[in-house]
Amino acid sequence: MSEQSPAVARYGHGSRIPGWDDSVDLGKDPAPVPDPATTPVPPQLREQIEAAMAKYPNFRSAAIPALHAAQDLHGWCSPEAIEQVACVMRLTPGYLTAVATFYDMFETEPVGRHRVYVCTNISCSLRGGPELLAAVQQAAGEDPDFNVRGFECLGACDIAPMASVNGEFVGPLELADAEQLVADLREGREVLPEKQLSRRACADPGAKAQAHE
Amino acid sequence: MPRPERRFVTFSIDGREVSAPEGVMLVDGAKYGDVEIPVFCYEPKLGAPVGACRMCLVEVEGIPKLQTACSTPVKDGMVVHTQTDRVREAQNSVIEFLLVNHPLDCPVCDKGGECPLQDITFGWGRGISRMVEPKRHFKKPLELSPLIAIDRERCILCYRCVRFSQEVSEDYQLVLNERGASTYVGTFDGHPYVAPFSGNIIELCPVGALTSRAYRFRARPWDIEGAGSVCTHCPAQCNVEFTVRDERVLRVLARDNEGVDDGWLCDKGRFAYQAIHSEERITEPLVRDSESGELVPATWEYALDVAAAALQAGGSKTAALAGGTTTNEEGFLLQRVVREALKSPHVDSRAGLPQVDLGLQQALAAPGLQATIPDLEFAHTVLVLGTDPIDDVASLDLRIRKGVRRNGVKLAVATSRPSALDPNAKLWLRYAPGGEHAFVAALEAAVTGSGDLSALCDAADADPKALEALAALLKDGGEDVVILWSQRLGAAPLPALLNVAAALRLEGRDGAGLIEVPVGGNGRGLREAGVQSNGGPGLSAPKAPGKPAREIAAALASGDLSTLWLLHADPVRDYADRRLWERAAANADALVAHATLLNDTLREHATVVFPAESYAEKEGTIVNLDGRVQRLRVAIGRPGAVRAEWQVIADLSKRLGLDLGVLTGPMATRQLVEAVPFYAGLTLKEIGGRGVRWQEREAASAAPAAPAGPVESGEPLPAPRPNGALRLGTYRPIWAAPEVEVSPALKFLAAKQQAELSPVDAERLGVDNGAKVSVTAGDATVLAKVFVRGNVPAGTVFLAEATAEQSATELLGEAPQLVSVEPYGQRPPVPLEGLARGARPSDDEVNS
Amino acid sequence: MSDKLLFDRIDEPGLDTIEVYMRRGGYESLKRALRMTPEEVLQNLLDSGLRGRGGAGFAMGKKVSFLPRGAMDKYLVCNADESEPGTFKDRELMQKSPHMLVEGMIIAAYAAGANRSFIYIRGEYELQAMKLEAAIHEAREAGFLGEDILGSGHSQTLVLHRGAGAYICGEETGLLDSLEGKRGNPRLKPPFPANQGLYQGPTLINNVETLATVPHIIKMGGTEYAKLGVDNSAGTKLISISGNVQRPGNYEIELGMKSRDIVYGLAGGPEPGREIKFWFPGGSSSPVLTPEDLELPYDFDSMAKAGSMLGSGAIIVVDDSNSVVDVALTLAKFYRHESCGKCTPCREGTNWTVKMLQRIHEGDATPMDLDIIASVQDQIMGNCLCVLGDAMAMPLSSMVAKFRGEFEQYIEEKRAAAGFGEMPEPSPIAIAGAA
Ligand SMILES: Cc1cc2nc3c(=O)[nH]c(=O)nc-3n(C[C@H](O)[C@H](O)[C@H](O)COP(=O)(O)O)c2cc1C
Ligand code: SF4
Ligand code: FES
Repeated sequence: MSEQSPAVARYGHGSRIPGWDDSVDLGKDPAPVPDPATTPVPPQLREQIEAAMAKYPNFRSAAIPALHAAQDLHGWCSPEAIEQVACVMRLTPGYLTAVATFYDMFETEPVGRHRVYVCTNISCSLRGGPELLAAVQQAAGEDPDFNVRGFECLGACDIAPMASVNGEFVGPLELADAEQLVADLREGREVLPEKQLSRRACADPGAKAQAHE
Repeated sequence: MPRPERRFVTFSIDGREVSAPEGVMLVDGAKYGDVEIPVFCYEPKLGAPVGACRMCLVEVEGIPKLQTACSTPVKDGMVVHTQTDRVREAQNSVIEFLLVNHPLDCPVCDKGGECPLQDITFGWGRGISRMVEPKRHFKKPLELSPLIAIDRERCILCYRCVRFSQEVSEDYQLVLNERGASTYVGTFDGHPYVAPFSGNIIELCPVGALTSRAYRFRARPWDIEGAGSVCTHCPAQCNVEFTVRDERVLRVLARDNEGVDDGWLCDKGRFAYQAIHSEERITEPLVRDSESGELVPATWEYALDVAAAALQAGGSKTAALAGGTTTNEEGFLLQRVVREALKSPHVDSRAGLPQVDLGLQQALAAPGLQATIPDLEFAHTVLVLGTDPIDDVASLDLRIRKGVRRNGVKLAVATSRPSALDPNAKLWLRYAPGGEHAFVAALEAAVTGSGDLSALCDAADADPKALEALAALLKDGGEDVVILWSQRLGAAPLPALLNVAAALRLEGRDGAGLIEVPVGGNGRGLREAGVQSNGGPGLSAPKAPGKPAREIAAALASGDLSTLWLLHADPVRDYADRRLWERAAANADALVAHATLLNDTLREHATVVFPAESYAEKEGTIVNLDGRVQRLRVAIGRPGAVRAEWQVIADLSKRLGLDLGVLTGPMATRQLVEAVPFYAGLTLKEIGGRGVRWQEREAASAAPAAPAGPVESGEPLPAPRPNGALRLGTYRPIWAAPEVEVSPALKFLAAKQQAELSPVDAERLGVDNGAKVSVTAGDATVLAKVFVRGNVPAGTVFLAEATAEQSATELLGEAPQLVSVEPYGQRPPVPLEGLARGARPSDDEVNS
Repeated sequence: MSDKLLFDRIDEPGLDTIEVYMRRGGYESLKRALRMTPEEVLQNLLDSGLRGRGGAGFAMGKKVSFLPRGAMDKYLVCNADESEPGTFKDRELMQKSPHMLVEGMIIAAYAAGANRSFIYIRGEYELQAMKLEAAIHEAREAGFLGEDILGSGHSQTLVLHRGAGAYICGEETGLLDSLEGKRGNPRLKPPFPANQGLYQGPTLINNVETLATVPHIIKMGGTEYAKLGVDNSAGTKLISISGNVQRPGNYEIELGMKSRDIVYGLAGGPEPGREIKFWFPGGSSSPVLTPEDLELPYDFDSMAKAGSMLGSGAIIVVDDSNSVVDVALTLAKFYRHESCGKCTPCREGTNWTVKMLQRIHEGDATPMDLDIIASVQDQIMGNCLCVLGDAMAMPLSSMVAKFRGEFEQYIEEKRAAAGFGEMPEPSPIAIAGAA
């Protein structure tokens, strides 16, 4: 759901939004809750989903954890992945599609396995976030292993401009870091270790709270 | 659960004092002061308001922000303004926002002229748009299902359609995908939205985003008329409004009746009107030509003469069967002719199901023991026994779900086949097909604490623990218990059912009682009109008892009876034991039928076929499940040479020497009302557009009462044991009906035979989902596609009845039975000589 | 005692483990609270004057007191969605001192009579989720969670729930729907969560920082805590500063500190040679303030009086190298992307606003469009289901109002560059029907 075209084509017809122009396939059957007798689910996925369901007073709360688990297994929320979750949770695949497409972290199209979210929100954009995104996109090129996306504020503006690389926050990044970042991922190395947020101290030490008067 | 009481409060709106029921939303409360507040997303039928469209913003004194009138309940002393500058500004804004992306294609939009968006823009909009950016344009219209087209450009994201799918029909197939301005109405991975109630979203859509593919571009609001009537396609008898143009029904809309349908229609009710105008409709009398042996068109006079002669010849060896859209009046006149003119006692309307002792019938129909349909929504506990409403009485499925969802009704489902309501039930129980009697007897034992529960459960193949839980739920879950039970249970379990009702003290309790789901659209009315072998009008004892349908078939086949008269009935297709009925039809000396469509039986065996009225052409009354007498009204003229049924029956009667004294439809109604004591004094005017429950009228005191003590519930037979062979269970799918097959829009749904198997049995038989199997009983075989379902109990195979081909009725004899299921096509098939018409079905037929 | 509470020695190695946390006196407040009655704990919260740190600044004790008393399923939900652009304080706190939050939640749940609690953490915070999961596990092992905690009779479960990327799930009712496994659409209010929240039960929802402050209030006593800060803005506050400053980061300050001392003193001000053009005092949803406003004390009331708000305490500084139009467009795009789509003004208003700003950006706009932009913001404000719409409309209105000159100049320059020529006369387009 990331922003794609910056400019609105004035008289351009056709959809910029996946799904808008899609008709259903009348050759398909309707999609009710999948029958467990005919929907195989990988046992470890079933276990994860059932464990999640047990955590809440209402099993439906496990929808997001279950989709996370299915996405981890399948690489994206494929129709097959969604059917498996639906089967275990006794929900319709439609319900789960609606949920999956609402959230930015669920991929409903196949994507590369390296998740690189580059923040383009205000604080990062004030420090070159959009340029960084372009640089990473260029460095990754057409490599199908990469899923490089512009992302909204990731909550790490202290290291702007930053990116989340497979969940690891790195920053502040320079344009030159883009090549390194992609190379680290390709080689299976730790990504920009010295720029990882998890190793960073709080900015606070210089701060002095003033005495109350 | 007691229904909420209504108290009135006074509030002020636009300076006027208005009094409205407490707790209603301002939008509705305002109407009591003749103030209209515009809405898009608000639709109380869909449940709690969502407050999404923001069209209904109003000013409430004391609250700084504007409030949504759709979600603000009226309170005593509240001061509301709907006409201030602030409110107007907000209304203008919302409309401007809605039109930012709504195409102005009203001239070519099906909704034009009956579009809330048009009307509200006119009434509350600013009239200009400051938006100069391009609007969104997408491909349109797109298919959402074979029945519904979707035009996403026009969608204003009011949430109505998806709320219907999620919170009313609960099929959860139609959803909103993506978010924000990218949100769109869609389904999972391009699957069509096909569900029994899908068509309701067309009516709910306040813009032209969802349109009926069958109605698209057929008419404009200014050249159509609306005609209110009742749908006769199933016993739910939902109230409808036909959209009529040039004597054609072009559309069916719901006509909200809280006591009947709650404002919803199933897709059969909504789209099967197409059968009225189908090519196959019979529009002139047909008489079998003695030379060619073919049915050929004839004049009315000739056809009436031939039919009268045939009936005369049959005399007391004539049997008459009524069903389908037969009204009370037609049934009443029919039984008069058969009983009085032909001196034959053989009339029936029970679709081949066992005859029920008249005393028992009277007891079960005692007014004090009847629950109403709205009771299903407010009861403490509802037990659905032996029926899956979605197939047998469609719109009640929604009513039951609503009760569970909104009012916390505790639902129990006891059926042999897994039910669509299982997921909503607090408790669901299974028994073996053939174990109905034992099951209800076990329930009696569990509720009364007497009898051998474990032996009875064993006979029913039911779980005694579950039965105990059910009994506890019924006894301790609150006094208002409604039991919805099916005529298909047969006769044997009914004494036990009556005893259960007595033990739960349902008699005479408002909000509690029994509701029977009859087979056939007007099953209840026809019985009350006297169309049954052991019951005359008003459930009186007939002078002489006749044979029930099954015996009629045997007697026709053996020659003991000679003539068959069918009023909207198709026993070969609809009744059990198809092959017996085929022999009966073939063996009859004469067959006289009133029908709208031809079928093979008529084509091959009918002597005379009278063109019958469709339900849109009829006048007369029918009776709903809970005794609500409803009125069919003429919506369109009769096509071709079709005549009124009552008139045809009266004409025949005259030729048979009996003047019925009926010159108009209302005269027939008057005769019926006079003959049925508990209808006494009922007039068409009183019935009106909403119907009237006869139990609620004074004359109801003339109805027979329930017996005082427990009745003898008999010794149940055990259900057959699956011993390698499987038990056969059958059901009649909602889509197994000729009107579905001849309606172009619905054709794709026409039921095909499938064998529902448990995973265990499928594995044992070595068949996969979708494989072909043959199901054999004795020398009869049915071919079916395998449908493996996780919740089918092992040991049973379920087949559909009344499918056009390969119907389970081929296999149904008198008693519950075992069948052998074999993979088809791998091994040499079992001999098929026994098959009807001798032809072995081709692979295409099995697959189609 | 250090002058900091939440961030006191925050970088101490191992503080995320229960061992170090307890060595430093962790969970003592819990023990103390459990020796009090829930009413006494609540009284401390009321006395403390603690206002919610998540954005709305509602008095925490009061919110607890709104929950109905009596035995029923009640819930505590910690809002750890932290998606307000510019805000990253909860992240550091959860990562480095997760037990402080856990302890605060147990105390708050005790006061509210809630037995089931949840942390809804944004999906992107994977490291923080791991740390919290471990902390919850340790707390459970130590007997601080579970049945009959420390013999007090209070039982509590705590479940960590990861979101999946949606700003609207920070809005408390959107969060509840999301936590119930649905799309994160906000709900109509009333009913308020305190009466009908999670699973229809009474629910207390508080921000991470709010809850993490609770142990300190118990430790110090409510009235003592109330002495920190200024009138109506008691206590210390975590401030996230980002944008064009030399030392972006999180700082704990006492409320009422002069804004200039935060921006220049703590964060070092803009790069040398740059001037501050404007700043967001409380996240991207707060109306922007000008450099003159830096003289104001940083507290709830002062920010409100200046026409803005303290919000989540996230200061974003924009210097004069940036165009206000670019910031406005980035901002509007964010809200368009995050609008849940449920209500009309927000869904269509954000979308339309982006289109208009894009037209300005492309040189295809006239100053009249500024009036339309401003009017569209007015049309959004107050008319939406939740306040996400307002969260765009407020800062955008403030930008157009305060920097109209710059917008107009930008429009002229872009027009000239794009070759659109002379400005046409404005001509509203009439639509069918109405008048
Ligand atoms: C669009 C929107 C986003 C919000 N995001 C957050 C958030 O990320 N974190 C948070 O604590 N509060 C957020 N809030 C505020 C919450 O709705 C709620 O007021 C807060 O969690 C209450 O906690 P507090 O009283 O402790 O501040 C948001 C509000 C809105 C309208
Ligand atoms: S399709 Fe119609 S009913 Fe559905 S959301 Fe859109 S406007 Fe509403
Ligand atoms: S603006 Fe980039 S992390 Fe916040």
